[in-house]
Amino acid sequence: MSKSYAILPCNGLDKLAGSLSREIALRIAEQTGSEIICPTFYRVSDVLYNKVAAEKPLLVIDGCGTRCAGKLATEKALKVAAKINVAEESKKYNIKLGSSLRLGENELRLCDLLVNNILKDELEDKAGQEVKDTVLMPAEIDYEIYQKDKFVFRLPKEGFYFNENDCWAYVVGNKARIGVTDYVQKSLSDIMFFTPPEIGSEIEQFGEAGAIESGKAVFEIICPVSGVVTAINDELLDYPEYINDNPYEKGWIAELELTDFESDKELLLQFEEYVKIMKRKVDEFHV
Amino acid sequence: MGSVKIGVVSCSGEDCLGGTISRLATRKMMEQIRPDDAVTLCLPLFIAGGEEERGFAAAHPTITVDGCGKWCAKRATERLSGKVSDVVQVADLIGTETAEGPILSTRNITPEHLEMVDKVAEEIRLKFDRIAESYKGKALPIKGF
Repeated sequence: MSKSYAILPCNGLDKLAGSLSREIALRIAEQTGSEIICPTFYRVSDVLYNKVAAEKPLLVIDGCGTRCAGKLATEKALKVAAKINVAEESKKYNIKLGSSLRLGENELRLCDLLVNNILKDELEDKAGQEVKDTVLMPAEIDYEIYQKDKFVFRLPKEGFYFNENDCWAYVVGNKARIGVTDYVQKSLSDIMFFTPPEIGSEIEQFGEAGAIESGKAVFEIICPVSGVVTAINDELLDYPEYINDNPYEKGWIAELELTDFESDKELLLQFEEYVKIMKRKVDEFHV
Repeated sequence: MGSVKIGVVSCSGEDCLGGTISRLATRKMMEQIRPDDAVTLCLPLFIAGGEEERGFAAAHPTITVDGCGKWCAKRATERLSGKVSDVVQVADLIGTETAEGPILSTRNITPEHLEMVDKVAEEIRLKFDRIAESYKGKALPIKGF
């Protein structure tokens, strides 16, 4: 998910909280590269903002209980990722807003607080992601190439384990990254959907770790290792075609904390064994 | 001034500097220049509010203040509330190129920006007083708001 937002502030002018909604939006936009949606122009002509609202998580900032921005989001059937109500936040932090429309010391203090809260959440998200994505992959992968007619099948020569279900695992310490092989993506052709495994779920070796789907078929990802899912490649939710581009690199599926790799290893294949299986399957696969 | 409350409706001003100037000039009218005679309504409230809010332009002779050539304030007011009595176009006063520059946080307002605000506020005042003069001794179109 992108770390910048599409921000929809109410931009009220008849109440101070509305003016504050605009100031909060501006500051977040300055610091995150977010894009601000003008509520009035969006109502008058929505072409300009439909793309922004669809591509970025939506942050709705309302000044008061009338919730003009929230209502506009509902009217446009937008999915709200986060929302702020300035009047409610001022009560929560016990910061009294003045009667003048000019932003004073209290208003700017509340503005700083709310902006920092949003930015802090993002930082925590980033930190969490860093903890989750801990399998350090090799900078360059050396591939064996096997060609059948016009189709080229790649297979990493070192460091990868495979199962006969055409899925791979790359293990570092007690963690593994998993994915599918070139044989799977070539067989499926254009992959259109990715159903990830649930983060935190425990998967047995040869259990299902999500699925991928093309116009031809649905492929259940058979997990080569047992463990607890710690991360998924959420870019595949938007770009499942990354699996077609390279299923060993940007098309990886998930990461797991291993629970019994020593036992799992006994049922896994290394390059020399799996390449024979893959070649046989390719030769038998009448594409 | 007389008893007629005149509406000043600014664009939401989220796309360009002209919008920021429009909002600040409208606020100056409300708070300093004609605090007892000017009323405003934020544009999104035309959309989210009820009949009372949508009757704003019918209840008050209204001037819209637009920051750029998109005319959001005029278009939204006339579409959702009623015909406006006059318009102020910020781009005509500070130049189109300047008006279409990047939006501005209140932290970054310079004396030059404040001069622009004064210029626009003065234009609003001129139109405001002209309307007020024409309503002298007349009843409000609709009583109260």
